[in-house]
Amino acid sequence: MSSASTVDPGKPSPHTAPPRPRPRPQPSGRDRISTKEKLIRWALMLVAVLIVLGPLLWQLSNALKGAAESTVGFPGTLIPRDPTFDNFITAFTAIPLPRYLLNSALIATMGVTANVVLATLTGYALARISFRGRGVYITVLLATAVLPFEVILVSTLLVTRGVGLQDTLLGVVLPQAVSIVSIFVMRQAFLNIPDELEEAATVDGAGPFRLFANVMLPSVRGSLAVVAVLGFLDSWDHFIWPLVILSDPDKYPVNVGVQYLSGTFSADQRVISAAALVVMVPPLLVYFFMQKQVFKGLAEGALKG
Amino acid sequence: MTLAPPEAAAPARARVPRRRTPAIRRHRWFVPLAFVAPALVVQGVFLFLPLINTFVLAFTDASTVGGGTFTGLDNISRLASDGAFWAAVGRTFVYMAVTVPVITVVSVSVAILVNTSVRGAGIVRPILFSPMVMPMAVVAVVFQYVLSSQGLANQILQGLRITAEPVPFLNDSDLALFSLMAVTIWKGCALYTLILLAALQNVSRDLDEAAQLDGASWPRRTFSVTLPQIRGTTTLVSILAAIATLRVFTEPFVITGGGPGKATETIVLYLYQRGISPGTDAGYASAVSLVLFVFVLAVSGISWLISRRNRI
Repeated sequence: MSSASTVDPGKPSPHTAPPRPRPRPQPSGRDRISTKEKLIRWALMLVAVLIVLGPLLWQLSNALKGAAESTVGFPGTLIPRDPTFDNFITAFTAIPLPRYLLNSALIATMGVTANVVLATLTGYALARISFRGRGVYITVLLATAVLPFEVILVSTLLVTRGVGLQDTLLGVVLPQAVSIVSIFVMRQAFLNIPDELEEAATVDGAGPFRLFANVMLPSVRGSLAVVAVLGFLDSWDHFIWPLVILSDPDKYPVNVGVQYLSGTFSADQRVISAAALVVMVPPLLVYFFMQKQVFKGLAEGALKG
Repeated sequence: MTLAPPEAAAPARARVPRRRTPAIRRHRWFVPLAFVAPALVVQGVFLFLPLINTFVLAFTDASTVGGGTFTGLDNISRLASDGAFWAAVGRTFVYMAVTVPVITVVSVSVAILVNTSVRGAGIVRPILFSPMVMPMAVVAVVFQYVLSSQGLANQILQGLRITAEPVPFLNDSDLALFSLMAVTIWKGCALYTLILLAALQNVSRDLDEAAQLDGASWPRRTFSVTLPQIRGTTTLVSILAAIATLRVFTEPFVITGGGPGKATETIVLYLYQRGISPGTDAGYASAVSLVLFVFVLAVSGISWLISRRNRI
């Protein structure tokens, strides 16, 4: 590496790059990066990673500590002397964490199902069916996309109570069952299907519903996964609405439950830390295993929003 | 580049050019209805009705426990002279004025930092993006501990001998709002960095390589070549962050409860306290909602103006 002797320190141009001591088959971009740049980038990336992971690792450290061990004293006490899973066991037995997880799972299942079904049907109609008012509906959808939920929070509470869904999990799900981003993701997916496919099926005698179910739907499986993943992450994150519509703590989803306990159960920080970490596991698993879907969905969502 | 796909706004009856849109079929009347009706019913009850209702309630003295009569502009005039409300508005705009530039600068910097083929960047990227999928309420619970007097932040500061006494991040009325901003920034940067990285990866490498051949240094290439090419996305990120700060609720609700005193009471928290709990004043809270809506529309309008100017 030291053989680089140009004006720009350590940045040999790709054309005159001197032979490497150990030539390795690498993507061409990597060869040009100087040692200095690498070191700077590594140092800065390490700082960024520490800022992101630091609070979580500290939580993990506290959650693994027994009641006798202090959570104070940095950095000496960061690694628990006597790691124990007691706090996690307490979180699952002494506080209603399993109940909250079950509620969240139910809400997420209903929410994702509703989201996928409604977005698929609407997206299909908006992409490939002609009907009166279609343009108006698209405009209305785009206009309501800028409406923050908080603006209609109080009214939605009154309406949901009016239809008798207060303090029910269905009442948590329905007001957020239609996602405008999801509708447009599905619409785009249906727009991308070639006409020939539809024509062939129609010639074969498929009616509109057969066409949709047997020909169109199988072609958009990728987008269905995007919508489902995004719907799950959204549902796991929702806070203000379940907080408002639920009054029975037995029905709380994890978010509302954990913050509720952190208010009433503040005596044991270690148990709350353990519970908080458990709550983060499902979305993190989905994220790490379905990164492609998450990124695609978020990118499209950001551009529409 | 932000809002509507251009063909979306075309009315249905207009003849859409064939090459842009696939053949749109006409069917018997019940076919489109079967596809659109389910979402339309749900939206009718849980979106359009509450939206109209908000406009109606804002002019009544309705309560969330029932009743209410028309009171004209009474709520609006009360709101205009409501010191607590305008204090919350002021705090929310301070929140915006600090977090939006910080989030934008940090996200752009981090996106540029990890937009590299240096070994390790592939592992670092998903870690840095991970806060975006963590529920805000749970993140807030975590930071409640991190920022407490014996929390991680104070342990580090004292461990490095920067401060002798614990810093009252959440108990000092001047400091608490800024401590909450740190939480918003910590979580927010993940998503915005991801969006910016996606934009960076669409930037053509040719210009950068040309500048490299001309001997331009890394910082020089970044400022003169790379950044101008993601200006649109950077603006988008600032707008998204600005709208997000107008809606800030979870951080103050969970971490400080609006305190100490009212030092961290934001618009949405004020709305919640007046209309949901402990207050039940649905009419007045609806008036607050409308003002919030006006602010959001103003920011969206600015974003629309900017995107239109960029397109021309």
